[in-house]
Amino acid sequence: MARLKNRISFVLLVGVAFVAGGCAFDLAHVSFEPTQFVQPLDHCKTFVVANDVPIDAPCNYDRLLRKGSSWKLVGTIPKGEVYKPLDQVLTVECSNIFEAYLVVSEGHMVGFYLPVEKGFVPLSKGIELPME
Amino acid sequence: MKRTMFFGIFILVASLPFGCATGPQFSMVQPNMVSESPDEGRIFFYRTSALGAAIKPAVMLNGEKVGKAIAKGFFFVDRPAGDYEVVTSTEVKRKVSFVLEKGQTRFIKFNVSMGFFAGHVYGELVDESVGMSEIVNCKYTGGDTS
Repeated sequence: MARLKNRISFVLLVGVAFVAGGCAFDLAHVSFEPTQFVQPLDHCKTFVVANDVPIDAPCNYDRLLRKGSSWKLVGTIPKGEVYKPLDQVLTVECSNIFEAYLVVSEGHMVGFYLPVEKGFVPLSKGIELPME
Repeated sequence: MKRTMFFGIFILVASLPFGCATGPQFSMVQPNMVSESPDEGRIFFYRTSALGAAIKPAVMLNGEKVGKAIAKGFFFVDRPAGDYEVVTSTEVKRKVSFVLEKGQTRFIKFNVSMGFFAGHVYGELVDESVGMSEIVNCKYTGGDTS
């Protein structure tokens, strides 16, 4: 009886390993839209975040724009102006991690710009940015 | 009983920090934090945790092997300004992408997460202040590409 149990356990283990071996762990992807990036005319435009701003980023990896962090205009895309952080790293993370910049339209953060992938990741809801 | 003992010993051995970096401490190496070449930036790679030390995946920078993610170890490379992808492969391939500018210093920290058969080692782009404070406890691995 014990032998049979051992055999069943072994077969189950091999079965699970066989099935799981073919599984992809890399299941969560950041969805981004390819977008057109244009260099800005004004290279000096910056703003400072007046208060901590929590962001519901993709895949539940929340992000925080820190109070006092500075952001510099580096370009525009059809969805808004693109600001790069000067003193904090911003990333979007699912299974992979992407450096990200802010996309701002009419004082609201509307998404992320991925400078390497040249893509736009929209937020489900715009976030008002407290700017100094 | 025997099996339980073997399993216990296996877990114990697996959790020991075998495979940790053995080179000189960061403070002894005292590398420049920026590239000597004005056209290049410097990328530091480090791994603070001894968890899963036996897993030392190759670090691929834009498809080129530049070193290994060794527990408690660090190394650095200088590269021209541009777009970069760091890939580590264990059970799965994990990627971090970022922009490197002239004269800029970037820090890629390797973390370990649970996997099915083995832990996953993945890179994370961290703030310079975080990188500077964490890397001091790591040992130089010299970009081991063997």
